Amino acid sequence: MDVHSLPEKEIVAIILYTSLFLMILSVVLIVFFYFSRKKIIQKELEKKDLVLQYQKEQLHAIIFTQEEERKRIAQDLHDDISSKLNIVSLNSHLLTAPNLTEAETAEITENIINLTTKALDNSRKIAHNLLPPVFEKFGLNAGIEELCEEFETSKSVKTHYKNEIDFDEKDIDRHLHVFRILQELMNNSLRHGKATEVWISFTEKDGVNNCNYEDNGIGFDSANAENQKGLGMKNIDSRISFLEGTIKITSEIDNGIAVNFTF
Amino acid sequence: MSDFLIYSGYLILLINLIFYSFSFFRKKEVNVFFLGYLAFSCVMQYSMEIMYHLHTNNLFLSNIFIIGQLILLGLFYNSLFTLKSQKSFVLISIGLALLILGLQFMMDWSQFLRFNLFAIALTSLLIVVYALIHFYNMLTESKTYYYASIGVVFYLLASTVLYFIGNLTHNLSNEFKFLSWQLNAFLIIIYYFFILYEWKKSFSK
Repeated sequence: MDVHSLPEKEIVAIILYTSLFLMILSVVLIVFFYFSRKKIIQKELEKKDLVLQYQKEQLHAIIFTQEEERKRIAQDLHDDISSKLNIVSLNSHLLTAPNLTEAETAEITENIINLTTKALDNSRKIAHNLLPPVFEKFGLNAGIEELCEEFETSKSVKTHYKNEIDFDEKDIDRHLHVFRILQELMNNSLRHGKATEVWISFTEKDGVNNCNYEDNGIGFDSANAENQKGLGMKNIDSRISFLEGTIKITSEIDNGIAVNFTF
Repeated sequence: MSDFLIYSGYLILLINLIFYSFSFFRKKEVNVFFLGYLAFSCVMQYSMEIMYHLHTNNLFLSNIFIIGQLILLGLFYNSLFTLKSQKSFVLISIGLALLILGLQFMMDWSQFLRFNLFAIALTSLLIVVYALIHFYNMLTESKTYYYASIGVVFYLLASTVLYFIGNLTHNLSNEFKFLSWQLNAFLIIIYYFFILYEWKKSFSK
């Protein structure tokens, strides 16, 4: 039997069906690609928006902390130095007064000397707070050691510091970020975590510097994203991105906090 | 050769059914409509084979199969979709297709006993459209039934054309009569392998 015996109608139907099927199919496929492209582009735009939003937030955080820092410095200057210098100036004026007895003069001079010493002391402290001279002169290791000491003596926090890295002095700009991060973390542990002990250690693995920080404070719920959006945390984040490192923060309520970052 | 292809297709389908039902009853992860589709295909395939050996006309089973396939796969994708508009699109299109096919069979009952080109085209297209909508949904979300959907699109597109020429092959010489069916059996094996791979990827753990 050959094909010709098939009714013509049937063949036409088959051809019609096949071509119609393929036509509808191509239309469906084109529509599919059109919508897929649209969806992907939209998703990409959303991603870009998110990045922009994040950058904006970081910028806000930077400006805000700058202003806070300015406020703090202004307050320190005003409270600790200006006020004292004011009294010094008053006392000096007193000295010029006529008919002063010897004892009075001596008292006033002593006052002036006391106040200027205090003012000097305070100005040194302010400068030290802004940038610790030990850090600047002797590098990160000494800076952290001093930071720990300061916390031990003035804030009754027990610190355990261990360093396995020999820091290169050329990287001092990067190390300042590390120093600031640790400073922020320690301040947070003390202020929010009510910690009494902190552990800091530097290790090196495959050429990547690692810093481990732990405390025994009250911690927070790290699953809750709200806890990761504080200004201090944002600051740490932007510093980490400066260092092109990674950071991992784990914490549980009543179980302290563990931070691990690379730089 | 063709027997080997056909029977290995049956075997893989049976393996698929066993694996998927195993996962279904153990962990309840498998979509119930998909399992239903596998079981339905299994029953249809084996009954077609039996009827072939009994020398009765089994073509009406193919009509039942493509309609059941539309309903089960349609419901399967319907249950995967989350958007209300997509869900209602699937249900409405299945309903319309069944209505149209019902009318056609009522007008010409003999259509039921032969290859019904219209029914094949309609059901295949609808299922492919559902699968494409599913692909579209998966663009930005996690992949579910990804490989099975690839198999569905691949097999339905390829086999539909083979079914179209199904009525033509009656009149060919015995030498070529079964060529398209061997090809179809081969496509079925690939299709079932996709489903098996899906099981391995998604449910074997």
